[in-house]
Amino acid sequence: MTIENLHNRSKILQNIRDFFNSRGYLEIETPILSPSLIPEPHLDIFKTAHTHPFKNSREAYLIPSPEVWLKRFLSENPINVYEISKCFRNSEQSGKQHNPEFTMIEYYSMGFNHKDTMDITIELLDDINNKLSFSKLPKKHREMEMDEAFKLYAGFSLEQNYHINNLKDKAKDLGIYTDMSDDWETTFNRIFIDIVEPNLPKDVNLFLTDFPSDIKTLAKNIDGTQWAERWELYINGIECGNCYTEEANPEKVTNYFKESSNVEHHVDMNYPLLFKKFPKCSGGAIGIDRLIMGILGIDEIQGVILFPYRDNI
Amino acid sequence: MGQIKAGAIEKGMFILEKDIPYLVTEREFVNPGKGSSFVRLKLKDQRSGASLKITHKSQDNIDEIDVTEQSCQYLYTDGESFVFMNNETFDQFEVPCDGLEDEKWFLIEGDAYRVVRWGEETLGVKLPPKMDMEVTEAEDGVKGDTVQGASKYVKVGTGLTVKVPIFIKQGEIIRINTDTKEYQERINK
Repeated sequence: MTIENLHNRSKILQNIRDFFNSRGYLEIETPILSPSLIPEPHLDIFKTAHTHPFKNSREAYLIPSPEVWLKRFLSENPINVYEISKCFRNSEQSGKQHNPEFTMIEYYSMGFNHKDTMDITIELLDDINNKLSFSKLPKKHREMEMDEAFKLYAGFSLEQNYHINNLKDKAKDLGIYTDMSDDWETTFNRIFIDIVEPNLPKDVNLFLTDFPSDIKTLAKNIDGTQWAERWELYINGIECGNCYTEEANPEKVTNYFKESSNVEHHVDMNYPLLFKKFPKCSGGAIGIDRLIMGILGIDEIQGVILFPYRDNI
Repeated sequence: MGQIKAGAIEKGMFILEKDIPYLVTEREFVNPGKGSSFVRLKLKDQRSGASLKITHKSQDNIDEIDVTEQSCQYLYTDGESFVFMNNETFDQFEVPCDGLEDEKWFLIEGDAYRVVRWGEETLGVKLPPKMDMEVTEAEDGVKGDTVQGASKYVKVGTGLTVKVPIFIKQGEIIRINTDTKEYQERINK
């Protein structure tokens, strides 16, 4: 990473802080070491131990995102906040878009839904383009529903072929590998990753909205549909951000915890009780390193961070 | 033949997809923020030279081909096949030209190569990362052209056209990256 890009990275972070501070968001810092995490079965986490000189040690984990603490904070303090935090994800092989340790911003807005968070995220991207003359981010933004993306790039409506058997047939028609044991989410992902995601428009900041609710998350469902109030942000075809209208129903959060409990870390089953008094809000998260890649026009994460992780030193 | 997880595939491996042997030419990991991990592969059909893009879940089982590498001498081509000789057994064998579309630019008669074979079938030729080749056709640099970085095109003995700096002359030896087919440096002998 060059000194010039270090200067630019510093300016970008300052710009992001100024943006949220000027809109009344409070910057907070929460722990990156946690004794329990929100279960996300697809994420591999970094495990360590909190030792005691005379008693048994206890497992502790590096956070994959600051969500676990921010939601605990919001249940007591329903105010607009953001955090710029180091996050850790294990088993994701290093590549142009991955480093096991990375920087993420999460921002929560009270009374917002996912569309309101999209509006403020567009304001943020415009603000970066207006204030930082070196920004190479696309000037235009586009919103596209997942169903539209499937129609455009896979050639069929996901809504009308939602049943797993239909999806598997469509995958076979498209020459995409499938396996007998594939569940709904795997079948969806095979098609999405093979043919939809690589063809998403790259000349705009793309907000891909309304994800299938069969991908289990803590995003609120759109009542009466199979879609969730959720979007992901793609910059130059790279997934940079994710947003939910947050699920605030304690029973639904409890169900999510029960369904997702097959994880290799401790889960606090009392955590869903926080949602008995959780504010209506929406949270967005943006991978800062990938955002900086887009702003600086650099196509490798190693070009925007100091000391990318290597096993051999 | 052994099975490996798709997540363990590396560039340069040989795998079997629907009974066709492929060379892995590109591998990219994809980790959806809220999903299990996938790999996007770019494969080259070693029989036709055609490429194929395919996506696998990291947990998918893939057939890896047990290939052998043999030291072989490249003898000649008849236009349809390249003829090699195994340096240990002295057996001669033919490889269809279509299967060596990229490698053919670096085949020099009489030189030894690592040839990748699967049973009786040849799946590829392993080229050294860089090769030194003689410039056989080059026009003189334009007089008075002093712009830094000015370049021109020359041909080397195998017919490959390479973009080089303007000072390179016919008969000189240049080092070429066999992966990108790009000029690296002039070799002073």
